[in-house]
Amino acid sequence: MLQKPKSRGRAGSQPEREQDGGRGGGGAEEAPSTSRGAAGAGWQGSRRAEASPKAGPRSQKQLELKVAELVQFLLIKDQKKIPIKRADILKHVVGDYKDIFPDLLKLAAQRLEYVFGYRLVELEPKSNTYILINTLEPVEEDAEVRGDQGTPTTGLLMIVLGLIFMKGNSIKETEVWDFLRRLGVHPTKKHLIFGDPKKLITEDFVRQRYLEYRRIPHTDPVDYEFQWGPRTNLETSKMKVLKFVAKVHNQDPKDWPAQYCEALAEEEARARPQTGGPAPSS
Amino acid sequence: MADEKGTLRGDVEEGEEPVVAVTGSAHPGKQAEEEEEEPMKVEVAVGADACSDDLSCGEADIDPSLLELADEEKCRSIRKQYRQLIYNVQQNRDDIVNTASDSLTEALEEANVLFDAVSRTREAALDAQFLVLASDLGKEKAKQLNSDMSFFNQVAFCDFLFIFVGLNWMEGDGRELSDYDDNIALSFWETVQKEATSWMLQAEKFHFIFGSFKSEPSARKPRLEHRKKVHRMEENGDMPTKLRKLDLNSNQEATEKEVERILGLLQTYFRKYPDTPVSYFEFVIDPNSFSRTVENIFYVSFIIRDGFARIRLDQDRLPILEPININQVGEGNDPSSHCRKQGVISLSLQDWKNIVATFEISEAMITNSY
Repeated sequence: MLQKPKSRGRAGSQPEREQDGGRGGGGAEEAPSTSRGAAGAGWQGSRRAEASPKAGPRSQKQLELKVAELVQFLLIKDQKKIPIKRADILKHVVGDYKDIFPDLLKLAAQRLEYVFGYRLVELEPKSNTYILINTLEPVEEDAEVRGDQGTPTTGLLMIVLGLIFMKGNSIKETEVWDFLRRLGVHPTKKHLIFGDPKKLITEDFVRQRYLEYRRIPHTDPVDYEFQWGPRTNLETSKMKVLKFVAKVHNQDPKDWPAQYCEALAEEEARARPQTGGPAPSS
Repeated sequence: MADEKGTLRGDVEEGEEPVVAVTGSAHPGKQAEEEEEEPMKVEVAVGADACSDDLSCGEADIDPSLLELADEEKCRSIRKQYRQLIYNVQQNRDDIVNTASDSLTEALEEANVLFDAVSRTREAALDAQFLVLASDLGKEKAKQLNSDMSFFNQVAFCDFLFIFVGLNWMEGDGRELSDYDDNIALSFWETVQKEATSWMLQAEKFHFIFGSFKSEPSARKPRLEHRKKVHRMEENGDMPTKLRKLDLNSNQEATEKEVERILGLLQTYFRKYPDTPVSYFEFVIDPNSFSRTVENIFYVSFIIRDGFARIRLDQDRLPILEPININQVGEGNDPSSHCRKQGVISLSLQDWKNIVATFEISEAMITNSY
């Protein structure tokens, strides 16, 4: 997807007039031909760039480069799983190309989906923060190929999510710790795998927007409650979490009728075509 | 309600046992009837210590001063009863919330009775405090009601997790995971992780399959800055990433570090075996890695260039490395006699293998730092 110097070699053999035409734009390297075979369009682009100032229409190649940068930026920023702010994108990658930012984002999203199978979604409508989610359903064999991906926090997360959902979509922090203590995870004790579990659950997961952490008013001593965060709703669903819990119990999800109904209702709501779908909005 | 509470507090005298702060000023939906009656009584009681206007006194003919004294006792006892009630309810909080008992209703009724005798703001404040507590508990009870429908047993969930992972110990003696081996804990979490990830659409964390070229294993940092000058791409030709200026510097530092490290190794050897030059090949060759060998040759060439060692051919016409002492540099060696000497060493993969075999090199003299 990147421009190889081969194209420049080809451009060298082309008549001089094209080079002159291309020089009007930002840089001297504006070789009109692209390896994508859209030589005609590229040439047209460079002709347009003839008399334009730096902020004018850019050539195909420049656009390609920008999109590639954006894709890389998004992939790397996603490593920490903290939502990517639009401001960061504009500052570090887009810069001068701010006017075509929506197009760039759309192209980058297409690229991510087509090449990596990741979807770029806005965390919440109008929040101007983005995350990447997988469009591919996980497969059994993936686990071996994936190899070591750092600490296995997803297991802990899923357990907490399960607790929250099964207890009515909200659970007190004290209850969470009562449960986790039985699994050897303490809020104050250093954990072999998770390090500082309290920080992991109350800060990291919250920053990654998997969980919401709110103070319960009028409690003494102060207590907090956990709920699902927006990322959780995008990456998984009530039905999936219920199925996870059911699988652990070796039972059927329908054995918990209230939760099952709730999960079913959510499935139906999702199946209905939404008006403001999770696409990167300009 | 907040204003009234403020005036209530204003009337509370100092020096008495501390009254627990009335925290709940916003429980509008759960107010019982007493609360509604209260404003009326509060407005009456504010600013008037005498009970002459008080509706609850009943005995309007008695001398006011006598009335005050008698009521003081009564009020104290009311306050005591309230505090007792609050204390009881707090102590039995779990019991009240979790069981299907009527204890909350009973407590409310008791408060109701007490309130009939209340005439002053202090007692009314205590009553309000009790009400906040009661309504909190009421909310808890209501929540319990919902989840009882499809009761989710946490303890069972915990046990089932263990079974799911394969650790069977349903003896019910409450053993915890922490009591067991670290390895068991690790495998527990890995198994759970494997199952959990199959229910989530998490995007994989980006990483290079074969790692990066850095000499130290470094944690991946998000590459934030990209050069915006497009013409730089010309220079970097094939490179898909745009290098920051710092990157080049850090590469140089790595080289220098390596050179220093190898120099240290060399000097240690010379200290250990003084006056014994080391065979060049024995020093640089790594029998396990051709690429490391080439790197070693590269670094040693810096050492020679900087004059810390000397390479020459011994009687067998094989290259050896000799130390150069600092004093040697001063005397004897006339700088003008230093003509540029240059040597080029070429080593192919086959050569390297031959050397390893011929010299019978079994392990590298230059150990790796990583």
